[in-house]
Parts: sequence; structure tokens; C-alpha cells
Amino acid sequence: METAGVNGPPEWLERVVLAAIPPAARESVAGDLWETYRTPDQYAVEALHTVPLVIVSQMRRNLSLPTLMLQGALIFICLGGPATLILLPVLMLRSAYQPTARPCPARVFREAILLSSGAMALLFLLMSTRFPFAARSGVDHATWLSLFLLGLLLSPFLCMLRAGLIMQGDRCMPLAADELPKDELARGYSAFLQGVLCRNLLEAMALAAMAVSGFFFGWNTALVGLFALGAFYLLLDAAPRALPATSDFTSLRARYRQELGHQQQLRHFLRWLWFTPVLVALHARLAQDELAAGQPLRAVLDCVACAVLCFLVAALNREHGGRTQEQIGLLDRMRERLSP
Amino acid sequence: MESLGQFEQIVLTAILALDDNAYGVTIHAKVEELSHPKKAARGAVYATLDRMEDKGLISSWLSEPTKERGGRSRRHYRIEKSGEKALRESARTAQRLFETIAQNLGGLAWKPRG
Repeated sequence: METAGVNGPPEWLERVVLAAIPPAARESVAGDLWETYRTPDQYAVEALHTVPLVIVSQMRRNLSLPTLMLQGALIFICLGGPATLILLPVLMLRSAYQPTARPCPARVFREAILLSSGAMALLFLLMSTRFPFAARSGVDHATWLSLFLLGLLLSPFLCMLRAGLIMQGDRCMPLAADELPKDELARGYSAFLQGVLCRNLLEAMALAAMAVSGFFFGWNTALVGLFALGAFYLLLDAAPRALPATSDFTSLRARYRQELGHQQQLRHFLRWLWFTPVLVALHARLAQDELAAGQPLRAVLDCVACAVLCFLVAALNREHGGRTQEQIGLLDRMRERLSP
Repeated sequence: MESLGQFEQIVLTAILALDDNAYGVTIHAKVEELSHPKKAARGAVYATLDRMEDKGLISSWLSEPTKERGGRSRRHYRIEKSGEKALRESARTAQRLFETIAQNLGGLAWKPRG
């Protein structure tokens, strides 16, 4: 049997265990399992006893209940109850496996191309049955052709969008040092808190403005309430969190990591919240007007718009989340530079 | 102030006893020693460590990777001020419990393990 090292578990077994351990705990848990390795059986049994609890713990740590509830509501509105029952546990499990780095460019471009190909396939499907639909929706060949070209352009558009997000992420990587004096770390943390405070206040005001305008324009009451609650929560969260003067480097680093994680969850929720009215409106148009009135063309366009919007929110969350996790990882390994 | 569950008290005491050498493997071994004859699953120790870190009772960091761990780092833990405070409070409660039980039932002399 092939082994990964002199006293290590078999390579295939270690690969299986590594895949099962959530990325945030992989380094330490896999190392601990390796250190106590005696036989493949003992290793497998130990992993079986350990990994499920680690998954549950990571799920509890990374899961943002407001985000999950919002996503659950959106899935329920758009896809119905059975889909919600299936997708919610998937979303919960996914949160346990939150990546610790930004996604690699090749993968994100592949996803962008896959999404645009899906939209094209949908158009092709409708074009192949164009006669019954065309007769009902009054779409001529020229319109189909322009739609097809639009589908072709979707792929480079999404790729450029992702490239822009990657480039933006590359530009903002603060605290990339292996060693820092405590004062510098404290300064970095204070600057981060100030930035968060300004951003939260501005976003709270914007959410409140949306809630007020939604109220006057007769939006769905639940949506208006959600925006108002979001604004209120952000105002509460904007309260300044001063560091105790006695904090040493380790405590400061722990606080910084915790705050980064908290802000990541908050931004994740807010991004979904900002796009919720558009998604709900698109779905309402899709469900009530277009399919009922036999307008498959507009229905397809709205489906594509929904998919592109979801892609955009997910891309923003993954880029920002990955960047935050990279920063948490840097802080995890950072040492204190003592002044001479 | 955070009140601690029994398992949290044990894990926190293990970190306190291990001082600079507190990481997954050693904490688990110490927890098993402290909770003897009960067994403790290593996964439960990790989950408790995560929970206490989120409460700000302990803090953690990664060490340099080592060969004996397959080139992986250890996650070291340390008790924070709030953790110390919570542990002291738990010890006081345990002492009051011990004294009350000893007074009423008797025969509970404390014997250090040899």
C-alpha cells in the first residue's frame, strides 16, 4: 500500500479525509490526525469520529442566519416549497465549506462561460420550436438573430465582469506582512473599524431611503420592512468597538479576525438584500404576465436576467469572502515583531 | 460574564494547564485525563474550542508547519482575560458545591492523584 510519508496514513485515505474536512479547519485537524496516526484503521475511525463534528462546528461558525432566511425566502418565492426543502440543507452545508482563498481565475471564467452557454442553449431550444411560439408572441427572425448575438456577447461580458472583480481584489490586500509590531496591527485594525463604521452608516442611510421610497411607491410590505430592519441593524452594528488598552498582540489579532469574519457575513447578507427587489420583480413578471400571456421570449430574457443577477451577487460574495478569508489566514500566521 | 458549561470548563482548564503547548492533540489528551473515566471525542473538543473562540474566551493562531504533522501547522490556543474570569467564577461555584456536598454527605475528602 502506498503511503504519504514514513509514519503517515495511506495517500488515498488522507485525500478522502482532507476532502471531508472543511477548509478553515483542514490545516490543524488534518495535522492533528496525522500526528496521532498509528494504523490506517485507527486513522479512519478517528477521522469518522472527528470530521462530522468539525463540519457542524464550521457550519455554525460560518452560517449567517439572516442570509440563509433571505435566500430561503427567495428560493421559496421563485422555485416553491420542495426546492426550498432540498436547497436549504445544501446551502447550510456549503457554508461549512467556505473557501479560505479567492477562487482561481480559470474556474471563475469557466463558470461565466458555462452560464452564458446555458442561456444560449435555452435560446436554441426556443428557436427550434419557434413556430408555435413565434405565432403567439409575434417574434420575427431578425429578433431571434439579435437575441442569439446578445447571447454570444453574454459570455465576454460576464468574463470581463469577473476579471474586473479579480483585478479589484488584487489591488486591496492590506497587512500582507509576516511580522508586524503590535502598534502597527492596532493602527490597521483601527483604520479597518473606521472604514466599517463609515460604510455601515452610509449603507444604513441608503437602506432607509430605499425603505421610505418603497413605502411611497407601494412596494411589497415585507420588502419595505426588510430594508427598514436592515438599516436599523446596520445602525446598531455601527456602534464603535474600542479595544481595551491592555490588549496584547494575540488578543488584538483574535479580535481583528473575529471582526473580519463578522463583517464578511454582514456584507454577504446586504448584497443579497440589495438585489432582492429586482429578483422578486423579475420573478413576478415572469410568473404572472409573460408565461400566462404566452410570451416565451420575454420570459427567457427575464430568466437570463435572474441568472446573471444571481451570478453577479455570488461572484461579489465569493471575491469579497475569499479576500477576507485570505486576510484572516494572514493574521493567523502573523508574528509579533518586537521593537529592538 | 459568560457562564461555562461543564465541558467548556474542562477544555479551558486543559488549555490553562498546557500553557504554551496547547493545541488539538495535547488539549484532547488533557481533556481525557481531566474527565476520566469519561471519554471525550476529539471532534467535540474542536467544536468547543471554536465556540469558546467565538465567545472571545480563548484566542488561536497557527504555528510553523512541521514534518511530524505531514507539513501542517498546529493551531495553538491561549486563554483570554474573559476566559480566565469565567474559569475563576466556575471554580468558585465548584468549590461552593464541593463544600456543601461534603458538609451534608461527608466522606468527600479531596485526595491528590499520585
